[in-house]
Amino acid sequence: MKSIGHLSALLALALVFLSTGSTALAQDKAHTKTPASAIQILMVQSDEVKLPIEFQLALYENLIDQVQKTNKFQHVYRDGDTAVANAAGLVILHSNVYGFRKGSEGKRQVTTVAGATQIKVHCLFTDQAGKSELAQDVTGNVRFLGGNLRATLDFAKKVAKIAVTNFQ
Amino acid sequence: MKMLRVYTILFAAAVIAMGAGSLAAPCLAQDANTGNAMSFAGTKHVIGLQGVKHDVKGTLSAGDGSLVFTKGKKKVVVPAASIQEVMTGKDTQRTIGGTVGTLSMFAPYGSGRFLSLFRTKIDTLSIEYLDPSGGLHGAVFTLPAGNALGAKKALLSQCARTSFPVEAEAAAQAKPKEKKQ
Repeated sequence: MKSIGHLSALLALALVFLSTGSTALAQDKAHTKTPASAIQILMVQSDEVKLPIEFQLALYENLIDQVQKTNKFQHVYRDGDTAVANAAGLVILHSNVYGFRKGSEGKRQVTTVAGATQIKVHCLFTDQAGKSELAQDVTGNVRFLGGNLRATLDFAKKVAKIAVTNFQ
Repeated sequence: MKMLRVYTILFAAAVIAMGAGSLAAPCLAQDANTGNAMSFAGTKHVIGLQGVKHDVKGTLSAGDGSLVFTKGKKKVVVPAASIQEVMTGKDTQRTIGGTVGTLSMFAPYGSGRFLSLFRTKIDTLSIEYLDPSGGLHGAVFTLPAGNALGAKKALLSQCARTSFPVEAEAAAQAKPKEKKQ
């Protein structure tokens, strides 16, 4: 009977620790969010791999679309936009493709397992002075349904999610 | 005699004005030489144009110093002078696509997979252009096979710019065919 009492006390203590720990973690996560009210998305570069221009443009346009859809930033500026000069709380997104495998839509539909398209991109968020705020590698895939360019949409959705979780 | 001098001066002035005019607008002169606007029906807007949904079919035309994409009543105009790059490419797509194509994947005995083997060749046309505030835009179109180079030529005649001349691109696209033979 005594041991049951001890066990229940221990369990209660463990629960208390767990709950306080999780709230502390949540608070930490909230604190690590970087304030940003505007974002400039630069044209996607591909220094290391030869990327077809339609993929490059689709990556860039999908990035802008998806980041705009999040409604996280008051302004989403394009590469070269002159209005950036007056923007406050600006983060700049640099993207560089370091891996690309153009699959085949036909192969995907016929075999289900082969012909995946994959794009690996190194994303770097900096402030206006060029100081790095966040760097992350993101992969865009299309494994089953859709054309090869769908990989660019997958990538853009992932980057938009990163922006939502890391900036406020 | 005096009248003759006046006429000569006027003639000289007119010649100079004409020369300066052609220098100021070389693309318009080129357009007058090449002919009327060219249009490409059955063009699919894949991504990039403002105000048009992705993956819609319409008509792409180049004329009057601009690129125009028309889908029903919707019309998007991009000034050709703002186009910084025009590139073409080749690709394939399913002959039976869209919703019917997707639904065919659930057809019995793998008939959907069999259908996806039937593919049609298409050309891709990609452009980079600037908006009035200097923001960079990219747009991708697909055209029926054999039309992309014509569209590129038409855009270049309207003042669009490119870093890959049409002749070089045509030669590059012809090379793989030669190898196959």
